Amino acid sequence: MKAFICGFGTIGQSVARVIKEKQDFFKKRYGETLTVVGALDSKSYVIDPEGLDADATINAKKDTGCVGEKRYKDIKEALDAVDFDILVEVTSTDIKTGGVGLDNIRYALEHEKDVVTANKGPLALKYKELTQLADEHGRYLLFEGTVGGAMPIINLNKYDLAGQNIKSIRGIFNGTCNYILTKMDDGQPFEQALKEAQQQGYAETDPTNDVEGYDSACKVVILANSIFGRNATFNDVEITGITSINSDAVALAQNNGMVIRLIGEVSPTKLEVAPRLIPRGHPLSLPGTLNTAEIITEYAGPITVSGVGAGGLETASAILSDIIDIMDERIGD
Amino acid sequence: MIINAELFVNDSPGQLVGSIEPISLVNGNILAVVHNRDRIVDNRILVNVTFEVDDRQLERLKDLWKSKDVVISSLGSVHETYTMNYILIGDVNAQYIEGLLRKINEATTLDQINVSYSSKSVKTASHTSLITVKARYEDNLDKIDAILRKECKLANVTYVRGV
Repeated sequence: MKAFICGFGTIGQSVARVIKEKQDFFKKRYGETLTVVGALDSKSYVIDPEGLDADATINAKKDTGCVGEKRYKDIKEALDAVDFDILVEVTSTDIKTGGVGLDNIRYALEHEKDVVTANKGPLALKYKELTQLADEHGRYLLFEGTVGGAMPIINLNKYDLAGQNIKSIRGIFNGTCNYILTKMDDGQPFEQALKEAQQQGYAETDPTNDVEGYDSACKVVILANSIFGRNATFNDVEITGITSINSDAVALAQNNGMVIRLIGEVSPTKLEVAPRLIPRGHPLSLPGTLNTAEIITEYAGPITVSGVGAGGLETASAILSDIIDIMDERIGD
Repeated sequence: MIINAELFVNDSPGQLVGSIEPISLVNGNILAVVHNRDRIVDNRILVNVTFEVDDRQLERLKDLWKSKDVVISSLGSVHETYTMNYILIGDVNAQYIEGLLRKINEATTLDQINVSYSSKSVKTASHTSLITVKARYEDNLDKIDAILRKECKLANVTYVRGV
């Protein structure tokens, strides 16, 4: 099968690397390889119907800032330039409009391509439209990497907990906020903790999406739609960020055996992102940049998963599982 | 129903079993027993027992205890309470909290409310405060939640609740 990687930043490069490293696995499981025939960044693209050399493509991006020499006016030019089966859509997230990711996913599905994405924006805004489009064209649209990075949650609910009613899911879905709140547990004021998060590369220069809870809200919407079958959008989520959490509040919580964590909660009736008081030792009191989710199930009771919520290889691991899912269906394992 | 009983039994071998056995005879389920040898009254030792029983069996149980010379000091129902914590951050002073508690008390019945303030800002008019409530019914927590959510939004106060 052939894949096209749309977006060649940290995640796109990691996907290219992982696909290269897993060629033996693909051959053994399917009797054929998965070839990356195209890659695209915000300015340029590169294609090779015989398959790109992952190392050379990554080096070109690192050396020149561009993945290829060919420029495009419209991304569709690049997507039309080579035949492929799976679009890996990992352009940067735009939670206001869905950005180019939304256009790319629509275009791929309309042109009979399966899509794997870690891009939250399109799904938080247009979940129903996109899944309907995929159904109409008999295509797969898989998005494990959109929630919790490496932490398995969507496929866990879809496969391992299949048939059970999921009563609620609540969790830490933003590693940046968790890092900041953990630093505040150690006595740092919010501003200093945020600065440190930016220096460590956990927070963007403009941290609004993280600290105001917008990023977590996108994930809550994706879970609500994909696991609870709701028809929610970003605007349906009640959101409170962590910017008003001060040292006094953190100290008061600590003196009473609790910590403050930004928790996303989704159930058949609730869609919320808010700072919450968590007893120390509770699975949701996790420190650092990890993501975690507590799934309350019909028969199995509470199930807790955690994992690294961001990062190139971590997100690529989720994308790989979706690609394998598609190849299992298209080729058979 | 869950019952807690304080019983006084003679300080002689077999009496502790004699006080507990009637509970089994009325199909009760013993949850906890404390044999308190520090409290002795008239040569009788205190046994504190918590058990679950059908309330229609209570009179029979009392008769059984009396027949075994067990003195019933107290007998009362025990209920489970639900605890929730809330931290309020913003222009929150004692008067504001009092007003909130009044509204909560008007809307629902609570077993217990505790309010504590952050020590750092105790000298100023505004505080960060922690409210801990205990309610008999889980529904009451939903009512409190709704009141705090609405009131804090109106007063531009950040409200952080427990899980």
